[in-house]
Amino acid sequence: MNIKVPESTTIYLTLQQLLKMKKKLLLSLFVASAFSYIAKAQDTVKTTADAPLVLYGSVDTYYKDDFSGHANIPTSFASDNNSVSIGMVDLGLKKSVGNASFVGELSFGPRNDESVPTSGYHIQNLYVSYNLTSKLNATAGYMSTFIGYEVISPTGNFNYSTSYLFTNGPFQNGGFKLTYTFSDKVSLMAGIFNDEWNVYTSEHDVSTFGAQLTVTPVKNWTAYLNVASGPTSGTILDLTTAYQITTAFKLGLNAATFTPAHYGFGPVTYGYSGVAIYPQIAVSKAVTLGLREEYFATKSSGSSLAGPLPGGNVLGSTLSANIKSGPLTFIPEIRYDNINSKTYTIFTDSDNAPTTSAVQFVLAAVYAF
Amino acid sequence: MKKIVIALLLLLPVKAVMAQKDSLSFDEHNKYIYYDVVVQPGLTADTFQNRMLYFLKVNYPQNKTDKISDPGSISGSGKFLILSGITAVKHVDGAISYTFHIEYKDEKYRYWLTGLVFTPYKVDRYGNSVPEEGLGVELEDGAKKLDKAELNKCLDQSAIYSIQFGHKLREYMVKVSAAPARDNKKKTIDTKNW
Repeated sequence: MNIKVPESTTIYLTLQQLLKMKKKLLLSLFVASAFSYIAKAQDTVKTTADAPLVLYGSVDTYYKDDFSGHANIPTSFASDNNSVSIGMVDLGLKKSVGNASFVGELSFGPRNDESVPTSGYHIQNLYVSYNLTSKLNATAGYMSTFIGYEVISPTGNFNYSTSYLFTNGPFQNGGFKLTYTFSDKVSLMAGIFNDEWNVYTSEHDVSTFGAQLTVTPVKNWTAYLNVASGPTSGTILDLTTAYQITTAFKLGLNAATFTPAHYGFGPVTYGYSGVAIYPQIAVSKAVTLGLREEYFATKSSGSSLAGPLPGGNVLGSTLSANIKSGPLTFIPEIRYDNINSKTYTIFTDSDNAPTTSAVQFVLAAVYAF
Repeated sequence: MKKIVIALLLLLPVKAVMAQKDSLSFDEHNKYIYYDVVVQPGLTADTFQNRMLYFLKVNYPQNKTDKISDPGSISGSGKFLILSGITAVKHVDGAISYTFHIEYKDEKYRYWLTGLVFTPYKVDRYGNSVPEEGLGVELEDGAKKLDKAELNKCLDQSAIYSIQFGHKLREYMVKVSAAPARDNKKKTIDTKNW
């Protein structure tokens, strides 16, 4: 059945409706096109290991209370006592195209200032990398050190306060390295780095040799045997390993010994040895408990950057919880450090008299993205 | 009435996104599965096999394809990244590993993706996104071990990935399995004659 309607009437009504609905139509079209764009964006999933341009980073803040009433424990970061203080804003960008990639990581805040060599610079990582073959990679630039268990970024550590091994060891190494992957279980990195640790520019030359042997003896267990040695920077031998034994239980270990250079030009004139273990257990979907038990001894000659006086040792026990809510992690933490004798102590009590022990509580919040 | 139309417009994409997740079903072992059967008249099992191998080689070069022991089926494993963030800049949340199975006979084939396991990624000291080994979660256990938003994201992206896999497979099944021969002769333009 056809109903004949005069053409002019039809056109008139449509135009009138259009005029009346103009705003809402435009709004509807905008909403529809915006959602179709979003839906289209959601309809693509990256199928390869490379992501387009990856952004990562974190923001952290903390409150610390040393039971003596003043800051005692000298390890890195979280240094302000009885204060709600900030850590840093960390922003990293990386991109891979074919065999080439770069990483640029900038940070701002007190945690940055305590971890980079030159005031006014904010670079944690800046390097370029190229896969020469499927097994051989070449990397050059300024990189986080390959030594040690703990890292500068708060997202990379379980405990918020850091260990003596971390604070006294290198933070970054600028240089050139080659990494060869023998198999899924073994790889070797060897490189030549600037003469001093933690410098954007070498003092004299590029004379620190560094190497890392990575071994995966069984699934979920990786061990790194590290060495860095140079006439200026001294020699550090380091073992770092972590084993995720079950989905709930992880065990980490770090052991290192450092001997300063005989004729070192840099500020590194101390020596130390230490070991730390890191058992962690997930008690629920959101809560994991972790202990760091560390023994750290300074050698009798020279001074320590952070730790007991030369010849002394300290036993540090840190119990932390990681309480996760999406990208946000709350870290309540209690730490007890004990130096073997008042002769070597650096701690003072509430009357500022030397004492062998220090206790602190920290509550930190770390947002990762 | 106009308000209802606008509300419907707003709801449509939400329904579309939900539909992605709904593309996954459970198999007889209570595992998530994306399953499809395709009838393709006129094609033999041999042709299917050649085209499927070519499809995997071109589109999923990083996948591991098992040696074909049973004529009539191809299986293997692969993984894809779970990304979040705006379109131009992404964050790598983790990766989902899966197994795929394709079975074929004359004029018919079927395929399914299953064994979905989410492994969270962390950023290492060099800024690389690396898997947190030993923390893989089968998506069927996701409700117990992942938060709701994370699980939904994994399910949505798994469904989208599976749909893409299926679409591409269907495309390649109606194509010839060899790459078109390239004409290596350089095209030159003679500007004297026109």
